[in-house]
Order: sequence, then structure tokens, then C-alpha cells
Amino acid sequence: MSLRVYAIAYLIFLYAPIVLLPIFAFNDATIIAFPLSGFTTNWFGELMTNTSLHAAVRNSLFIAVMTAILSTLLGICAARAGAMYRFPIKAGIMGFIMLPLVLPEIIVAVSLLVVVVQIFDLGLSNWTIIAAHVLICTPFCIAILNGAFQNLDPSMEEAAMDLGESRFSAFRLVTLPLVMPGIISSMLIAFTISLDEFIIAFFLSGVSPTMPVYIWGLMRFPASLPVVMALGTILVALSIILLTIAELLRRRGMARAGVKDKGGFL
Amino acid sequence: MTALITLKGVNKYYGDYHALRDIDLTINAGEFFSLLGPSGCGKTTLLRTIAGLEDVSDGVVMIGGKDMRGVSANLRPTNMVFQSYAIFPHLSVAENVAFGLRKRADLSKADKATMVDEALAMVGLSGYGKRASHALSGGQRQRVALARALILKPKVLLLDEPLSALDKKMREQMQVELIRLQRHVGITFILVTHDQEEALVMSDRIAVMFEGEIGQLADPETLYRRPNSRRVAEFIGKMNFLRADVQEIGDTIEVDVAGLGRVSVQAEQAPMALHKGAAVAGVRPETLAILFDGETTERKLIDGVVDEVVYYGDMTYYDVRIAGVDQPLNIAMKNLIGRPVLDVGTQTKVVWDERSLVLLA
Repeated sequence: MSLRVYAIAYLIFLYAPIVLLPIFAFNDATIIAFPLSGFTTNWFGELMTNTSLHAAVRNSLFIAVMTAILSTLLGICAARAGAMYRFPIKAGIMGFIMLPLVLPEIIVAVSLLVVVVQIFDLGLSNWTIIAAHVLICTPFCIAILNGAFQNLDPSMEEAAMDLGESRFSAFRLVTLPLVMPGIISSMLIAFTISLDEFIIAFFLSGVSPTMPVYIWGLMRFPASLPVVMALGTILVALSIILLTIAELLRRRGMARAGVKDKGGFL
Repeated sequence: MTALITLKGVNKYYGDYHALRDIDLTINAGEFFSLLGPSGCGKTTLLRTIAGLEDVSDGVVMIGGKDMRGVSANLRPTNMVFQSYAIFPHLSVAENVAFGLRKRADLSKADKATMVDEALAMVGLSGYGKRASHALSGGQRQRVALARALILKPKVLLLDEPLSALDKKMREQMQVELIRLQRHVGITFILVTHDQEEALVMSDRIAVMFEGEIGQLADPETLYRRPNSRRVAEFIGKMNFLRADVQEIGDTIEVDVAGLGRVSVQAEQAPMALHKGAAVAGVRPETLAILFDGETTERKLIDGVVDEVVYYGDMTYYDVRIAGVDQPLNIAMKNLIGRPVLDVGTQTKVVWDERSLVLLA
């Protein structure tokens, strides 16, 4: 009984703020407070016409997609090397790669700002943000991909080579299909981390802000708060759809590979 | 008999670790050849250098008269059955078996399907093609791995401990099937195993390896009856060792053996060169016997006392203490009708024959 109360309280604590998003997104008042005054879709209409918001969302999507691809590629290399080869001070190297996981983002942001502007004398752009996001996302990708690669029998690729395939096609035909669920999970996590990352983006964005930075800017104007709520509602819906697709893909991959489903990362 | 695989002065180093030491070896076409040894002796490394999965640090590997330097695994006329079988779990049984045919543009889809059916029939898995490969039992996976390798008609099939993951019954059944299969396809099989019984049962010739070296290369009977060193004798089967003192080396060898006295043995009973003086005489447990009540023998007898009895059902193993020897003699006796199982402490007579001795330096 007490366990059930605890579970319900936990779920309320976790999800109530998110449930508030769609409620106020459709509320016909600029002040975020109960009681609700009426139903409107105005805030969503405003979203459609706000071109500077569109630019910010485009920036964020571009950064998130590039970050997902690059950090997953790096993660594949590291996880594959870690699982298949033995080399000197492997544990040390793997630990060092995972370090950004515990590095405060503010430190990463400031030091990258110094490196980019002072040392290399480059301008800030989406690419400076991508570089920083890849840095913080890669450890997550490695953690996810390690699981996928460590379950693989190393003789599988050797068997494919022994049967006439080159090293690369052995990887493509055997390893890749088997780790695909891991790769999708990894890209998804990196995408999500990058999409809502604020501190680094705030320091490193150039003239065009990312979505979180733009939203932060909006917060100074209380009148635009319901628009932010509308935007949040769309993002939540999108996340749920994406995560559901990823989980379905992962389960199908598990079933196809005949691996016992031990519950995914998500 | 034509040489198919020749290794000359093959060495392999992993950093400071010397995994293969000057291996010279010739394997004949159509032969069932085994690499036998304890774990870490380099037998799997040797197999992998033939497959092209490991480079040799030094020396030459020739297959069918061609130097294999710089020829990668996918271009060698060898195929391998891995210890873990390495069945691709995302592919069906038929897709697994057909994997090696991907590059064969000369074959039509129908040809490939026929070849897959034939290969599956050969290993006794007809009708399994559509099955998901992850739903197979250990024995079935093993057969799929065999079919997948044999469909390419390699010159050499390499088997890396293929039976070690199976239970005893299944293992014995697969041993017989592998021998039958090898005779049927006529391909050279090279088997890596740590199981001496498996090697003896299956092979035409066996190379026993220790610490990266070949200790002895011979047919199973020679290996068992005339091991050329104490470590080979200890690794293959059981053997009693007795201190010996070589007196005279001529057409026959005169030797004093602890517990047995002065013995005259044939020169071929000493597989390696001997010198006068200290040596070791080996004798297999089944070449000794206990003289039960009512039995008679023409052979030599010594008195002994039963020290230990291990009953195996079909056999009983006795440790019998004899005068002048520290270790009791291990004696294997068939449990024939009318033979009792003796108790510890029983006074008994041990039957022996100098023809069963092997002299080791």
C-alpha cells in the first residue's frame, strides 16, 4: 500500500509539470495561473508566424542532427575498439574518453570559447556549438554502444572474413545489423541532449541563437510565456513519438538477433 | 600423399610472448590432422595463422604450393569452424550457409539454393533452411557452421575446438559424424583440440604441442604406444613412470627398472636417443594386470598390495604398491565375469611384460 502511494507521488512529481504544458498552451490568458479562462489555439498560431523562432528551431535541429551523427560515429569507433581489441592501458584510455560525462558544462563552454575566439581566432557559429555538443555527447554514445558491441562474439566478423568478405564488408554485413538498435539509441540520446542544451549554446552561439537560447530570451517578456508553453507541448509530443519509434526498433532488433531483452537504455 | 600445407620456421610473437617457436610442419592432402595440447600451447594460434586470421612474425606458410604471405583470410582456400560457431544470429539457417556464396556472381539464385540444400543435407539438417539460427541447439549450430564452411569446397577445413561446447553424448556422436563427413568430402581437416581422446579417435596424424613447440608428430597409435617424451606420455592417456638405469645399449637395451629388476627391451622401445645411466621407464595401466585367483599367466609377476580402488563400471582402476617404487602402479582391469573388485590392502600379484615398456631420457 505504502509502496503504491510512493509510486503515485513519484509519478506526479515527475510528470505534473509536463502535463501543465499542454494545459496552459491551450489556455486563453497570458498569465500562467489557475483558474483557466478558456480554450484557444492562438499561441500555436503565433508559433507558426514567428520567423525568428523558426530560425532558432532550424539551428537547433541542424546542430542536434549533426551532433547525433558525429558523436555516434566517434562512439562506434571507441566502442568497437574497446570490445574487440586489447591494447596497452586500455582501461585508462577508456576512462579518459568518458571524462566529459562528469565535466561541468560551464567549464567546457568557457574553455571552448577561449580556444575558439582567442587561440584560433575563429568566429562563433553553429559549428562551434556542434563541436562542444559532440564533446559532451560522445561519452553517452560510448556508454550505450559499449553494451551493443560487448554482446557481440568477436569471431563473428572473423567468420565473415573467412567466408570471403573484406574487413569492411564483414563489418557492414554482420556487425552493423547486430548493433543497429544501439546506434539508433545512441543517435537519439545525442539528439535529445543537444536539442535542449543551454549553457554551451548560450556561450558559443554566434548571431543566430539556438532554440533554448531563444526561449530564454523570450522569458523576459511575460506576454510570450504561453507561446513558450505551446512550443514545449509540440516538443514533448515529438519526443514521445521519437522515443516510441526508437524503442519499437530496438525491440524488433533484439527479437531478430535472438537476444534476450534485458530492458533497453530507455 | 601430396603435401598440401607446409609451414617453415614459423614464429609468432605477441610483444615479448613467444607464441609459436620455429614450427616446421607438413600436412597432406585429404588428411585428418589434429593439433593437440594444453590450453595456451599455441595450437589455436597455429590454426589461425593457416587461416590468415593471424600474421606470422617470421617464417612461411604455404598452401597448395603457394606462399600465403600477404594473402588475407578472405582470399585463402581455407574455411574455419569457430569454437563459438559464430553463427550470424540475424540471418536464417539458409542465409548463414549461403553467406560465402555472396561473391559468386557465376551462380544463379536457384544454383545457390540447391547448393545450400545439399550442404544442409550433408550435415543432417535437411529442411532447416528457413529456421531462425538463434533458435538452434548447440549441436545444430555446429552443423550449420560446418555446412557454411563446406559449401565453399575449401582445400582445408579448420576446426577450432568444435566439440568442446557439446555434452559428452553429443560430442561422441559428432566425432563419428565428422570422421564420416571427412571421408565423404575428402577435404583436409585440421582439428584443434585439448582432448587427447578426441584426437586419438579422429585423426590420421596428431601434432602434440607444448609452449609453442611441436613435442611429437605421429599417428595415434605411435603417439600412444611410443611417446617420445615424458610430457607427451603424461598428456596422452595415463602412464606409470619408474626410475630406470640404462646399462647396455646394443641391438637390445639392457636396463635396470625400479621394482621390476633387469629388463631387456627392443631398440624401438626407446623413441629418442638414450645414454647409459639414469632414464625413465613408462608403462600404461592397461598393459599391467592383476592376477586374480584361479587365473594363470606365462608372463612375469611381482608381488604387490592394493592401495586404492576406483570403480568405473566397465573398468576398475587399482593403485598397487610394489617393493622398490615410491608411487604405486596404476593398473586398469576390465570387469570381466567372475572377477571380484578387490579391497584395499589385498595381497596380490601384478602381471607385467617388458614389451610394453617405453624408455624415455
